[in-house]
Amino acid sequence: MTKNKSKWDKIIIGAGLYGLYAAKLCGERGERVLVLEWEKSPFQRATYINQARVHMGYHYPRSYATAIKSAHYFNRFIKDYDFCIHSAFDQVYATSDSFSWTNREQFVQFCQAAEIPCDELMPDKYFKKGLCDGAYLTKEYTYDAGILGQFFVDALVGMKNVEINYGVRLQQIDKGPDSYVLTLESGAVLETGFLLNATYGSTNQILSLAGYEPFKIKYELCEIILCQPQDKLREVGITVMDGPFFSVMPFGKTGYHSLTSVTFTPHVSSFDSLPKFNCQAKSWGYCSPEQLGNCNDCVAKPQSAWPYMSNMAKKYLKAEYGFSYEGSLYSMKPILKASEVDDSRPTVVRKVSEKPTFVSVLSGKINTVYDLDEVLKND
Amino acid sequence: MTRQQEKKVTVRDKEKNFVSAVIYIYNDEERIRDFLEKINAVLSANFESYQIICVNDASDDNSLAVIREIGKSISGTVINVVNMSFYQGVELAMNAGIDLSIGDFVFEFDNMVMDYEAELMMYVYDRSLTGFDIVNAAPKKCGRKTSRLFYAVFNRYSRSPHPLRTENFRVLSRRAINRVHSMSKTIPYRKAVYANCGLKIDTIEYDNDRSCTKGYDKETRYQRKEMASDSLILFTNVAYKMTLLAAVFMMVATFGIGIYTLVSYVTEDVVSGYTSMMLVIVFGFFGVFVILAVIIKYLSMLMELVFSKQKYTIESVETISE
Ligand SMILES: Cc1cc2nc3c(=O)[nH]c(=O)nc-3n(C[C@H](O)[C@H](O)[C@H](O)COP(=O)(O)OP(=O)(O)OC[C@H]3O[C@@H](n4cnc5c(N)ncnc54)[C@H](O)[C@@H]3O)c2cc1C
Repeated sequence: MTKNKSKWDKIIIGAGLYGLYAAKLCGERGERVLVLEWEKSPFQRATYINQARVHMGYHYPRSYATAIKSAHYFNRFIKDYDFCIHSAFDQVYATSDSFSWTNREQFVQFCQAAEIPCDELMPDKYFKKGLCDGAYLTKEYTYDAGILGQFFVDALVGMKNVEINYGVRLQQIDKGPDSYVLTLESGAVLETGFLLNATYGSTNQILSLAGYEPFKIKYELCEIILCQPQDKLREVGITVMDGPFFSVMPFGKTGYHSLTSVTFTPHVSSFDSLPKFNCQAKSWGYCSPEQLGNCNDCVAKPQSAWPYMSNMAKKYLKAEYGFSYEGSLYSMKPILKASEVDDSRPTVVRKVSEKPTFVSVLSGKINTVYDLDEVLKND
Repeated sequence: MTRQQEKKVTVRDKEKNFVSAVIYIYNDEERIRDFLEKINAVLSANFESYQIICVNDASDDNSLAVIREIGKSISGTVINVVNMSFYQGVELAMNAGIDLSIGDFVFEFDNMVMDYEAELMMYVYDRSLTGFDIVNAAPKKCGRKTSRLFYAVFNRYSRSPHPLRTENFRVLSRRAINRVHSMSKTIPYRKAVYANCGLKIDTIEYDNDRSCTKGYDKETRYQRKEMASDSLILFTNVAYKMTLLAAVFMMVATFGIGIYTLVSYVTEDVVSGYTSMMLVIVFGFFGVFVILAVIIKYLSMLMELVFSKQKYTIESVETISE
């Protein structure tokens, strides 16, 4: 193998959960796999910076299909990765009395139909009077991205046939007769018959580099607030549904809670095919429509919406379920335009070329990572 | 925001309380820009964090586009819009806006007629901090005769401890909002419910600039008439009293006729059969009026239940940022 041209069975772009899951799966079968990652370490973006909810389906009371599928994935995920799952807390869902697209009867009915556990509670236990018409104890957990990431790194280090390159700057993707040739800024040239694009927020950027049609998505720059829960909140997660509300729940096993709100978590949006934001001009070239930087490390990241999110929570929650500000995390969320009305968040695996194969995955949730199995199999 | 407007605002330490301003908008494309800029200037100068909620009551002019444009020019996610599905009038629309608001204090602007200095907002807010959960800003001179008549009748017949009057805007504490919501599920007429919520209320009068008054279009006029009669029926006992009084009066009258029939049977010479026929009629009518009185009572109770079901319908909620 010469230094400047190497050949791989599979090249995977992106070392988030989807990328590393694919690498491990293929590595275990003895394939030669190379992972290319822009950051200096894995799990620096969406896989780490999100609500860390292992979805059971409660979130989709207007999409049975998503709910039922989620429940199935939930069970598999918490079995496979039990070491990173935090489950010792009460996950409380509530339906807001006003502005909710779903009311108490509908939510209960939905849970029954989707066969997911849901015990009704007295809303007055957690919420100020008159603000929620129903509250439910549910079965939903949170995962710890730090622990999960370490697990994958440890597993891959042991495989001689798998390599991860960090700090990679991809320059060019060319399609040959039976392989893709990738050129890096460093001058390195890489070749593979199977290319997996698992870059999430950057997925259209990679597609456009290779000259393929982009996903129809919009982008939201999101803020996840980390907070320190007070005693009573420590072992409780709260999600108020189904509309412009909020959620405050444990953030993996970190001891912090994440605070998000449907209205204030997204700061700015872009409706362009490639993510175009005003803040990019202030990022000193760190981020552009052609290559997103990491919002969390960016000098131009937005000011925290803590006053808004905390006040919304304060409006609903009884005073004893208080919390204080620790810090903010920012990340980019691509949203399929087709999924806006029913709020489903499907994971889309798209094969744009066969032999040589080019697959793009746009994930909707952590635990739908198994959707990759199919496309990685028959090769 | 222009320089001038910025300068007008007196500087003081910014308030830590989160405030929301809820504004009712119905075909106001000409007023919106000026109004939003003025209140945004006051709020941003005085509060660390705030939000402005525009309730767009299915305007059919360019109101929404104008709001969006202004929203983009104000930094941060200050402006939210609630789009009502169809025209529902100021009361239901404002309820929607208030339900969405998250502020510790909430300003309610039922219209965008600014016949006062924007700084009055802070004066009203400061008054609420001295211990009033609801503070109203009311113009000294009220123009409309019909409004005055309405309030006169209303105040005469409602048992409310605070007489109502024409008000332009008000500030509510979160406590007041919670109280009002736990009292009744829906609020067909906010002013009346506020006046009855049992918390401390104050009203600040200001000299209004009468050149600013705004004419109402046909739909709004109709809506206001409906509102007025609804709230008279709902919050005062005017209609109930009148109908009940009428029923009782008729009862007494038929009873009188019955007595007269009996008396004339004894004292005068009457055609045979007259007395028995009259007695049957009197008995029948008496029964009818008793039944009517009971029905009226029933209706008044039913109406309250029916009214508490009516809620607003929204189409969408948007947050506007740059
Ligand atoms: C605010 C928010 C909240 C969410 N909440 C939840 C939730 O509660 N539960 C849930 O299940 N899901 C949630 N999601 C979705 C979930 O985070 C994603 O579906 C999942 O993390 C995507 O994993 P990934 O591996 O595809 O992407 P990522 O983890 O983002 O990985 C992509 C990787 O690609 C790298 N990359 C990008 N461009 C290049 C390039 N040019 N060259 C090389 N590498 C590149 C990035 O650096 C990154 O490491 C949320 C998402 C967001 C944004």
